Amino acid sequence: MSVPRSRILDLAKVQCRIFSTIFNPEGLRLGNKVLRQRLKGPSVAAYYPRRVGTLKQLQKAYPGWETWDEKEEDRIEGLQVAKMRGKGAPKKKRTAAESKKLGKKKK
Amino acid sequence: MAQFRAKKLDLGCFVNVRNIRDHTKRKVFAEHEAERQALRYIIRNTSLSQRARAQAQLQLTQMHCYTRSTQIKNRCIMGGKGRGIMSDFNMGRYQFRINALAGNIPGVKKASW
Repeated sequence: MSVPRSRILDLAKVQCRIFSTIFNPEGLRLGNKVLRQRLKGPSVAAYYPRRVGTLKQLQKAYPGWETWDEKEEDRIEGLQVAKMRGKGAPKKKRTAAESKKLGKKKK
Repeated sequence: MAQFRAKKLDLGCFVNVRNIRDHTKRKVFAEHEAERQALRYIIRNTSLSQRARAQAQLQLTQMHCYTRSTQIKNRCIMGGKGRGIMSDFNMGRYQFRINALAGNIPGVKKASW
């Protein structure tokens, strides 16, 4: 008892429709195996643990909350001390004339 | 390459330049993976014109090397080593031993029988 080829092809077609695969009875190379592959980008990019839970992120998440950043406070205090000793950063020059004046003074 | 690197450090593990580089490569690969797969599909599809496939081949070879998956290497998250990494724990063998003995890795116990 042999089944005609057309009937088998019909069956294959229905199978492809149901399982949403490509109907390719001749076995041509259509590159569909590339499309079948899963994207591994997200899992690859998640290899290293990210930097989370920093004080800045906390401040952003809870703007009304008071947080104490030891390092930042130290830095600001140091800046204030430097300014009091006259060792602070020079004032930003806004125009070309202002910056020229400074150069002449040096001479 | 510097143009891909994050402007702000976003690694929470051991940091050295090789780890940062590998992390950057991973992110760039994830970003461009769909594009690469599309080009690969065009190249493998024999029903498309020879010209389109050759063009896709050229385009794929001209993509930046950071978009390639072969550039990615597992590195130790505790010490930055590139060899002897146990991929289940993302750690080098010595760091794994130290952390396992210290009890930092859940479910890992020194065997003895």
